[in-house]
Amino acid sequence: MPVVSRSMRLTDRGIYWVLAAALAAAGLIPEFRSLGNLANVATQSAALAVLAVGQTFVILCGLIDLSVGQLTGLIVVLVCDVAAGRDAMMAPALLLAIGLGAGSGAVTGLLNNRLRIHPLILTFGTMSVLQGIVFTYTDRSVGRAPAAIAWLADGRLLGLPVAPLLVLVLAAGAHVTLTRTRFGMHVRAVGGGRDNARRAGIDTDRVAATVFVISGVSAAIGGLLVAGRLGVGYPHAGAGFELDAIVAVVLGGTSLAGGRGSVAGTVAAVLLLGLTNNVLNLLQISSFIQMLVKGLIVIGAILVNQPGGRRAFA
Amino acid sequence: MSTEAERPRVRMAAIVSGLSAGWLERAAIWVVLLALLGVAALFSDAFVQPIYLFNMVRQAAPVGMAAIGVTLVMVMGGVDLSVGAVISLAAVVAAVLMDGQAGNIGYALAATLTIGAAIGFANGVLIAWNRASPFILTLGTAVAVYGLTQIYSGGTARGIVAPGFREFFNQRIGGLVPVLALLFLAAASLAVLVQRTTRFGRSLYLVGSNPGAARLAGLHGARLTVATYTLSGLLAALGGITLLARSGVSSTFAGRGFEFDALAAVVLGGTTFEGGRGGVGGTVAGLLVLFVAFNLVNILGLNYNTQRVVAGVIIIVASAAYTLLTSRR
Repeated sequence: MPVVSRSMRLTDRGIYWVLAAALAAAGLIPEFRSLGNLANVATQSAALAVLAVGQTFVILCGLIDLSVGQLTGLIVVLVCDVAAGRDAMMAPALLLAIGLGAGSGAVTGLLNNRLRIHPLILTFGTMSVLQGIVFTYTDRSVGRAPAAIAWLADGRLLGLPVAPLLVLVLAAGAHVTLTRTRFGMHVRAVGGGRDNARRAGIDTDRVAATVFVISGVSAAIGGLLVAGRLGVGYPHAGAGFELDAIVAVVLGGTSLAGGRGSVAGTVAAVLLLGLTNNVLNLLQISSFIQMLVKGLIVIGAILVNQPGGRRAFA
Repeated sequence: MSTEAERPRVRMAAIVSGLSAGWLERAAIWVVLLALLGVAALFSDAFVQPIYLFNMVRQAAPVGMAAIGVTLVMVMGGVDLSVGAVISLAAVVAAVLMDGQAGNIGYALAATLTIGAAIGFANGVLIAWNRASPFILTLGTAVAVYGLTQIYSGGTARGIVAPGFREFFNQRIGGLVPVLALLFLAAASLAVLVQRTTRFGRSLYLVGSNPGAARLAGLHGARLTVATYTLSGLLAALGGITLLARSGVSSTFAGRGFEFDALAAVVLGGTTFEGGRGGVGGTVAGLLVLFVAFNLVNILGLNYNTQRVVAGVIIIVASAAYTLLTSRR
């Protein structure tokens, strides 16, 4: 297949070169170089990084999850409303967030295995349902995030920002899971070819359900970080997150067809996106032009990184 | 074991059942539409009044125009999620160019349609050239187009609709059928005709169901891809103009989410992501099912947010039903 040689153009290592070049270019701006600003970029990118790491599992498995954005929004709203600023409610709020994320992922996984419809359509449907639920619950900001969650999202531990540390731990865990465990191998195998994986004795349904649960939990953790940053339960908080997460995964060199890619690439791509936003902000470029730039980055990323098959629409 | 006499009969039976299965599949969504209308009529007698029904078609026209284009793209095995953004841009551009002068209408509409077609053309070229995933690529186009729209409009609603523009499109012919509804039905009929009788229309099905065979049959896949996406962009721009005519609003995000409604209508109508199946006729039925459902939710006193839940459930259930139908055969 000639497709393979095309696919070698900018995979695996490519994103690191782009990130390095972007860092070097950004380094020319004095404001960018300050430690405070760099910590800021990492902190602001944390929620997206967590979501994108979760999405990496899903896409490596040959699936996709569009529902995570609205799920994040739902968790932001519920956590803030339930906690209402009280630190004593921290544990119930955490349990609620993780439980809801895992539950939603499990339902998506179950529907995926039972209905056998394309995951794009399925999660597109669940996204619509979740959006309806969020805005039926509230169409304005509610509640307040407890101080502990705000610390998680915006605080410091021994002088280091907490959120990037959390991302580092989660990403390292995800990397090890995908490269060193049996489950990780199974995810890649299912993504590389479901029928062959099944013939090799892998329980493909269980693998698919598990990656959706991982994606749901990542939305829960991302939701906690967003709630901590915003401080209130803003119902629009999660809108568009699903696209950003998918863009980061694709930009990081993971194939939408499944089977090939890495968590490290995804994290590098998230940093690149965060850095681009930060630089455009420092240069005081209007948010409208930033939106255009973001669209062009998505288009560029897909053109460079995704040598689609004849009918690959996913 | 079949004897000589039995064989033709068996073959005939297979053909008949094959035909009827295809017929059932095509008719299924219309049956669903009638059933839904029947249920809706139990809740409100508005659903049996022609004037209300035609008004519903008028309401559905902007999404419907875009859905026609998305259907053609999906029959070919692609997808176009940039239509919501194109609708928004088209509404803003048309309003700004009209600038409240009736004399500007022709020029404004021509320029708007050209811009829509140009965005579709760009989508088509990138997809044909790179064979990139149209799903993500057109999502990217959508973000870029929203950015362009905001840069163009300065982030607020801009432009003044020319006098007579909205009046013309919303007047009811014979006191019954709004011009917008008629325009949509005409566009849909034309599209059905094109897909059934023209070489271009038939080619879409061939490329969608078997790209390899299509290439061997001498079809130029890249050219067809570009043409179809261009048509989709053009129809989305027409949807934007329709939206402007219907509501008079030209805000930056006027068409946000319309791509989802269009996709829901197309999938409901029996056109699949795999391509090669379905068509514009089914999409019209799917669109009406969606809008009857929306109107019913409205009449029952539930709000827009509940409509999103209903739309999501409908998308999942309909797709699952079609998967079941096709895997049985």
